[in-house]
Amino acid sequence: MANNLLKGKKGIIFGALDEKSIAWKTAEKCVEEGAQIVLTNAPIALRMGAINQLAEKCNAPVIPADVTNPEDIENLFDKSLEHFEGKVDFILHSIGMSLNVRKGKHYTEANYDFMHKTLDISAISLHRVLQTALKKDALNEWGSVVALSYIAAQRVFPDYNEMADAKSLLESITRSFGYHLGKLKKVRVNTISQSPTITTAGSGIKGFDGFFNYADKMSPLGNASSEQCAAYCVSLFSDYTRMVTMQNLFHDGGFSFTGINEDIIRALSESER
Amino acid sequence: MSDIASRVKAIIVEKLGVDENEVTPEASFTNDLGADSLDTVELIMEFEKEFNVAIPDEQAETIQTVGQAIEYLEKNVK
Repeated sequence: MANNLLKGKKGIIFGALDEKSIAWKTAEKCVEEGAQIVLTNAPIALRMGAINQLAEKCNAPVIPADVTNPEDIENLFDKSLEHFEGKVDFILHSIGMSLNVRKGKHYTEANYDFMHKTLDISAISLHRVLQTALKKDALNEWGSVVALSYIAAQRVFPDYNEMADAKSLLESITRSFGYHLGKLKKVRVNTISQSPTITTAGSGIKGFDGFFNYADKMSPLGNASSEQCAAYCVSLFSDYTRMVTMQNLFHDGGFSFTGINEDIIRALSESER
Repeated sequence: MSDIASRVKAIIVEKLGVDENEVTPEASFTNDLGADSLDTVELIMEFEKEFNVAIPDEQAETIQTVGQAIEYLEKNVK
Protein backbone atom coordinates (compact mmCIF):
# COMPACT_ATOMS: atom_id res chain seq x y z
CA MET A 1 0.00 0.00 0.00
CA ALA A 2 2.42 2.62 -1.16
CA ASN A 3 1.32 6.17 -1.92
CA ASN A 4 4.54 7.75 -3.09
CA LEU A 5 4.50 9.94 0.00
CA LEU A 6 8.28 10.30 -0.11
CA LYS A 7 8.74 10.50 -3.85
CA GLY A 8 12.05 12.18 -4.65
CA LYS A 9 13.07 12.47 -1.01
CA LYS A 10 16.43 11.39 0.32
CA GLY A 11 17.13 10.19 3.81
CA ILE A 12 19.66 8.71 6.20
CA ILE A 13 18.53 5.84 8.44
CA PHE A 14 20.54 5.13 11.60
CA GLY A 15 20.23 1.93 13.56
CA ALA A 16 18.93 -0.91 11.37
CA LEU A 17 20.47 -3.95 13.05
CA ASP A 18 18.27 -6.82 11.89
CA GLU A 19 14.79 -7.34 10.51
CA LYS A 20 13.22 -6.83 13.93
CA SER A 21 14.61 -3.28 14.11
CA ILE A 22 12.21 -0.38 13.79
CA ALA A 23 14.86 1.30 11.62
CA TRP A 24 14.85 -1.73 9.32
CA LYS A 25 11.08 -1.56 8.82
CA THR A 26 11.27 2.20 8.37
CA ALA A 27 13.98 1.85 5.73
CA GLU A 28 11.82 -0.61 3.80
CA LYS A 29 8.75 1.59 4.06
CA CYS A 30 10.59 4.75 3.03
CA VAL A 31 11.83 3.03 -0.11
CA GLU A 32 8.33 1.66 -0.83
CA GLU A 33 7.10 5.23 -0.58
CA GLY A 34 9.55 6.41 -3.20
CA ALA A 35 12.52 7.60 -1.12
CA GLN A 36 16.19 7.01 -1.72
CA ILE A 37 18.13 6.12 1.40
CA VAL A 38 21.55 5.67 2.95
CA LEU A 39 21.91 3.16 5.78
CA THR A 40 24.31 3.61 8.64
CA ASN A 41 25.19 1.92 11.90
CA ALA A 42 28.12 1.38 14.24
CA PRO A 43 30.80 -0.98 12.90
CA ILE A 44 30.00 -3.46 15.67
CA ALA A 45 26.30 -3.43 14.77
CA LEU A 46 27.13 -3.91 11.10
CA ARG A 47 29.13 -6.97 12.04
CA MET A 48 26.46 -8.29 14.38
CA GLY A 49 23.41 -7.74 12.25
CA ALA A 50 22.35 -8.42 8.71
CA ILE A 51 22.29 -4.96 7.20
CA ASN A 52 23.66 -6.07 3.85
CA GLN A 53 20.40 -7.88 3.15
CA LEU A 54 18.50 -4.67 3.77
CA ALA A 55 20.97 -2.66 1.72
CA GLU A 56 20.43 -4.96 -1.23
CA LYS A 57 16.68 -4.85 -0.89
CA CYS A 58 16.64 -1.06 -0.59
CA ASN A 59 19.38 -0.48 -3.13
CA ALA A 60 21.13 1.62 -0.50
CA PRO A 61 24.77 2.10 0.38
CA VAL A 62 25.89 1.25 3.91
CA ILE A 63 28.19 3.84 5.45
CA PRO A 64 29.58 2.80 8.83
CA ALA A 65 29.61 5.48 11.51
CA ASP A 66 30.29 5.47 15.21
CA VAL A 67 27.95 8.21 16.39
CA THR A 68 30.33 9.18 19.18
CA ASN A 69 33.00 10.05 16.62
CA PRO A 70 32.60 13.45 14.92
CA GLU A 71 34.83 12.44 12.00
CA ASP A 72 32.62 9.45 11.26
CA ILE A 73 29.53 11.67 11.19
CA GLU A 74 31.26 14.14 8.89
CA ASN A 75 32.27 11.33 6.59
CA LEU A 76 28.71 10.00 6.65
CA PHE A 77 27.31 13.34 5.48
CA ASP A 78 30.04 13.85 2.87
CA LYS A 79 29.40 10.42 1.38
CA SER A 80 25.62 10.77 1.57
CA LEU A 81 25.60 14.14 -0.18
CA GLU A 82 27.81 12.68 -2.85
CA HIS A 83 25.63 9.59 -3.24
CA PHE A 84 22.39 11.59 -3.39
CA GLU A 85 23.92 14.30 -5.53
CA GLY A 86 22.03 16.66 -3.31
CA LYS A 87 20.95 17.39 0.23
CA VAL A 88 19.14 15.23 2.73
CA ASP A 89 15.38 15.48 3.35
CA PHE A 90 14.98 13.21 6.34
CA ILE A 91 16.91 11.45 9.09
CA LEU A 92 15.85 8.64 11.40
CA HIS A 93 17.80 8.35 14.66
CA SER A 94 17.10 4.90 16.08
CA ILE A 95 20.09 4.49 18.37
CA GLY A 96 20.43 3.48 21.97
CA MET A 97 22.84 1.54 24.15
CA SER A 98 23.37 1.31 27.88
CA LEU A 99 26.36 -0.42 29.38
CA ASN A 100 24.86 -0.22 32.87
CA VAL A 101 21.83 -2.13 31.58
CA ARG A 102 23.99 -4.60 29.70
CA LYS A 103 26.17 -5.21 32.75
CA GLY A 104 23.19 -5.56 35.07
CA LYS A 105 24.09 -2.52 37.18
CA HIS A 106 21.21 -1.26 39.27
CA TYR A 107 20.26 2.40 38.76
CA THR A 108 21.47 3.25 42.24
CA GLU A 109 24.83 1.60 41.62
CA ALA A 110 25.62 3.01 38.21
CA ASN A 111 29.11 3.10 36.80
CA TYR A 112 29.73 6.66 35.59
CA ASP A 113 32.00 5.78 32.70
CA PHE A 114 29.18 3.58 31.46
CA MET A 115 26.63 6.32 32.05
CA HIS A 116 28.61 8.85 30.02
CA LYS A 117 28.78 6.37 27.20
CA THR A 118 25.05 5.71 27.39
CA LEU A 119 24.20 9.41 27.20
CA ASP A 120 26.73 9.98 24.43
CA ILE A 121 25.53 7.15 22.22
CA SER A 122 21.82 7.36 22.96
CA ALA A 123 21.19 11.11 23.15
CA ILE A 124 24.15 13.42 22.49
CA SER A 125 24.62 11.58 19.20
CA LEU A 126 21.46 13.33 17.94
CA HIS A 127 23.06 16.69 18.71
CA ARG A 128 26.25 15.64 16.96
CA VAL A 129 24.36 14.52 13.87
CA LEU A 130 22.34 17.73 13.70
CA GLN A 131 25.31 19.98 14.39
CA THR A 132 27.29 18.29 11.64
CA ALA A 133 24.34 18.49 9.24
CA LEU A 134 23.98 22.19 9.98
CA LYS A 135 27.68 22.89 9.58
CA LYS A 136 27.73 21.11 6.24
CA ASP A 137 24.44 22.68 5.19
CA ALA A 138 23.32 19.14 4.42
CA LEU A 139 19.58 19.45 4.99
CA ASN A 140 16.96 20.60 2.53
CA GLU A 141 14.35 23.15 3.57
CA TRP A 142 11.30 21.44 5.09
CA GLY A 143 13.41 18.46 5.98
CA SER A 144 12.37 16.25 8.87
CA VAL A 145 14.31 14.52 11.63
CA VAL A 146 12.79 11.82 13.83
CA ALA A 147 14.40 10.16 16.85
CA LEU A 148 12.89 7.23 18.72
CA SER A 149 12.08 7.59 22.39
CA TYR A 150 10.15 5.88 25.16
CA ILE A 151 7.71 7.04 27.84
CA ALA A 152 10.26 6.29 30.57
CA ALA A 153 11.50 9.81 29.73
CA GLN A 154 8.42 11.19 31.53
CA ARG A 155 7.35 8.49 33.95
CA VAL A 156 9.36 6.05 35.99
CA PHE A 157 9.85 2.51 34.71
CA PRO A 158 12.55 1.34 37.15
CA ASP A 159 13.90 -1.47 34.99
CA TYR A 160 14.49 0.92 32.11
CA ASN A 161 17.36 2.15 34.25
CA GLU A 162 19.56 4.99 32.97
CA MET A 163 18.03 4.75 29.50
CA ALA A 164 15.20 6.82 30.99
CA ASP A 165 17.65 9.68 31.53
CA ALA A 166 19.09 9.19 28.07
CA LYS A 167 15.61 9.43 26.53
CA SER A 168 14.84 12.58 28.56
CA LEU A 169 17.99 14.17 27.21
CA LEU A 170 17.17 12.99 23.69
CA GLU A 171 13.75 14.63 23.89
CA SER A 172 15.29 17.81 25.27
CA ILE A 173 17.87 18.01 22.48
CA THR A 174 15.00 17.47 20.04
CA ARG A 175 13.28 20.60 21.34
CA SER A 176 16.42 22.72 21.66
CA PHE A 177 17.91 21.84 18.28
CA GLY A 178 14.44 21.79 16.75
CA TYR A 179 14.13 25.47 17.55
CA HIS A 180 17.38 26.38 15.82
CA LEU A 181 16.87 24.16 12.81
CA GLY A 182 13.37 25.55 12.42
CA LYS A 183 14.62 29.11 12.48
CA LEU A 184 17.66 28.55 10.30
CA LYS A 185 16.59 25.89 7.84
CA LYS A 186 12.84 25.28 8.21
CA VAL A 187 13.74 21.77 9.30
CA ARG A 188 11.61 20.00 11.91
CA VAL A 189 12.80 17.69 14.67
CA ASN A 190 10.55 15.37 16.67
CA THR A 191 10.71 12.25 18.78
CA ILE A 192 8.31 9.33 18.55
CA SER A 193 7.59 7.74 21.90
CA GLN A 194 6.90 4.21 20.77
CA SER A 195 5.21 1.27 22.54
CA PRO A 196 7.58 -1.36 23.87
CA THR A 197 8.70 -3.22 20.76
CA ILE A 198 10.25 -6.65 20.56
CA THR A 199 13.63 -5.93 18.99
CA THR A 200 17.15 -7.07 19.75
CA ALA A 201 17.81 -3.88 21.72
CA GLY A 202 14.45 -3.91 23.53
CA SER A 203 14.85 -7.51 24.62
CA GLY A 204 18.04 -6.51 26.41
CA ILE A 205 15.97 -4.79 29.09
CA LYS A 206 15.31 -6.80 32.21
CA GLY A 207 11.66 -7.79 32.51
CA PHE A 208 10.93 -6.71 28.96
CA ASP A 209 8.05 -9.18 28.55
CA GLY A 210 6.40 -7.60 31.58
CA PHE A 211 6.67 -4.11 30.04
CA PHE A 212 5.36 -5.38 26.75
CA ASN A 213 2.35 -7.28 28.12
CA TYR A 214 1.40 -4.60 30.61
CA ALA A 215 1.46 -1.89 27.94
CA ASP A 216 -0.46 -4.08 25.53
CA LYS A 217 -3.23 -4.67 28.11
CA MET A 218 -3.27 -1.05 29.23
CA SER A 219 -3.48 0.57 25.78
CA PRO A 220 -6.99 0.79 24.32
CA LEU A 221 -5.56 0.03 20.87
CA GLY A 222 -2.89 -2.38 22.12
CA ASN A 223 0.82 -1.90 21.50
CA ALA A 224 1.94 -0.24 18.31
CA SER A 225 4.05 -2.59 16.21
CA SER A 226 7.35 -1.75 14.54
CA GLU A 227 5.61 -1.74 11.13
CA GLN A 228 3.11 0.79 12.42
CA CYS A 229 5.95 2.88 13.83
CA ALA A 230 7.64 2.79 10.44
CA ALA A 231 4.43 4.05 8.84
CA TYR A 232 4.25 6.88 11.37
CA CYS A 233 7.87 7.80 10.57
CA VAL A 234 6.96 7.98 6.89
CA SER A 235 4.11 10.37 7.67
CA LEU A 236 6.51 12.57 9.64
CA PHE A 237 9.01 12.57 6.78
CA SER A 238 6.26 13.43 4.30
CA ASP A 239 5.07 16.91 3.34
CA TYR A 240 1.80 16.41 5.23
CA THR A 241 3.36 17.16 8.62
CA ARG A 242 5.45 20.22 7.85
CA MET A 243 4.37 22.28 10.83
CA VAL A 244 4.95 19.59 13.46
CA THR A 245 8.20 20.25 15.29
CA MET A 246 9.91 20.09 18.70
CA GLN A 247 7.34 17.51 19.81
CA ASN A 248 7.47 14.21 21.59
CA LEU A 249 4.74 12.27 19.81
CA PHE A 250 3.22 9.27 21.54
CA HIS A 251 2.75 6.33 19.22
CA ASP A 252 1.56 3.88 21.79
CA GLY A 253 -2.06 2.89 21.20
CA GLY A 254 -3.19 5.32 23.90
CA PHE A 255 -1.00 3.94 26.70
CA SER A 256 0.38 7.30 27.81
CA PHE A 257 -3.03 8.77 28.70
CA THR A 258 -4.71 5.70 30.12
CA GLY A 259 -4.87 5.53 33.92
CA ILE A 260 -6.28 2.07 34.48
CA ASN A 261 -8.66 -0.25 32.66
CA GLU A 262 -10.77 -3.36 33.16
CA ASP A 263 -8.17 -5.75 31.78
CA ILE A 264 -5.60 -4.61 34.34
CA ILE A 265 -8.12 -4.70 37.21
CA ARG A 266 -9.19 -8.20 36.20
CA ALA A 267 -5.58 -9.39 36.01
CA LEU A 268 -4.88 -7.93 39.45
CA SER A 269 -7.96 -9.43 41.11
CA GLU A 270 -7.25 -12.80 39.52
CA SER A 271 -3.74 -12.77 40.93
CA GLU A 272 -5.12 -11.94 44.39
CA ARG A 273 -7.40 -14.93 44.38
CA MET B 1 51.95 -19.44 27.98
CA SER B 2 52.34 -18.49 24.34
CA ASP B 3 52.55 -14.89 23.22
CA ILE B 4 49.17 -15.21 21.51
CA ALA B 5 47.57 -16.62 24.66
CA SER B 6 48.81 -13.77 26.81
CA ARG B 7 47.66 -11.14 24.31
CA VAL B 8 44.23 -12.80 24.05
CA LYS B 9 43.91 -12.80 27.83
CA ALA B 10 44.92 -9.17 28.07
CA ILE B 11 42.22 -8.19 25.55
CA ILE B 12 39.59 -10.16 27.47
CA VAL B 13 40.58 -8.60 30.80
CA GLU B 14 40.46 -5.14 29.26
CA LYS B 15 37.22 -5.57 27.29
CA LEU B 16 35.14 -7.46 29.83
CA GLY B 17 36.60 -5.83 32.93
CA VAL B 18 37.20 -9.20 34.58
CA ASP B 19 39.99 -10.39 36.86
CA GLU B 20 42.94 -12.08 35.16
CA ASN B 21 42.47 -15.18 37.32
CA GLU B 22 38.99 -15.74 35.92
CA VAL B 23 40.31 -15.91 32.37
CA THR B 24 41.02 -19.65 32.29
CA PRO B 25 41.03 -21.70 29.06
CA GLU B 26 37.70 -23.32 30.00
CA ALA B 27 35.99 -20.02 30.83
CA SER B 28 33.02 -19.30 28.58
CA PHE B 29 32.66 -15.65 27.55
CA THR B 30 28.92 -15.60 28.14
CA ASN B 31 28.44 -18.12 30.96
CA ASP B 32 31.49 -17.35 33.09
CA LEU B 33 32.81 -13.93 32.12
CA GLY B 34 29.54 -12.00 31.91
CA ALA B 35 29.73 -11.15 28.21
CA ASP B 36 26.54 -10.43 26.25
CA SER B 37 26.08 -10.87 22.51
CA LEU B 38 27.52 -7.42 21.78
CA ASP B 39 30.60 -8.11 23.91
CA THR B 40 31.35 -11.34 22.10
CA VAL B 41 31.20 -9.63 18.71
CA GLU B 42 33.35 -6.83 20.10
CA LEU B 43 35.92 -9.38 21.31
CA ILE B 44 36.09 -11.03 17.91
CA MET B 45 36.66 -7.62 16.30
CA GLU B 46 39.39 -6.84 18.84
CA PHE B 47 41.13 -10.15 18.10
CA GLU B 48 40.96 -9.37 14.38
CA LYS B 49 42.54 -5.97 14.94
CA GLU B 50 45.21 -7.18 17.36
CA PHE B 51 46.28 -10.15 15.22
CA ASN B 52 45.48 -8.72 11.80
CA VAL B 53 43.25 -11.62 10.76
CA ALA B 54 39.70 -11.86 9.43
CA ILE B 55 37.57 -14.31 11.38
CA PRO B 56 34.58 -15.38 9.27
CA ASP B 57 31.18 -15.32 11.04
CA GLU B 58 30.80 -19.12 10.93
CA GLN B 59 34.14 -19.48 12.68
CA ALA B 60 33.41 -16.68 15.12
CA GLU B 61 30.27 -18.47 16.26
CA THR B 62 32.31 -21.49 17.35
CA ILE B 63 34.58 -19.41 19.56
CA GLN B 64 32.81 -19.56 22.91
CA THR B 65 35.62 -19.98 25.42
CA VAL B 66 39.00 -18.41 26.09
CA GLY B 67 40.73 -21.64 25.05
CA GLN B 68 38.84 -21.82 21.76
CA ALA B 69 39.87 -18.24 20.95
CA ILE B 70 43.53 -18.99 21.66
CA GLU B 71 43.41 -22.22 19.70
CA TYR B 72 41.81 -20.56 16.68
CA LEU B 73 44.29 -17.71 16.67
CA GLU B 74 47.32 -19.95 17.17
CA LYS B 75 46.26 -21.90 14.09
CA ASN B 76 45.36 -18.93 11.93
CA VAL B 77 47.76 -16.16 12.83
CA LYS B 78 50.87 -16.16 10.72
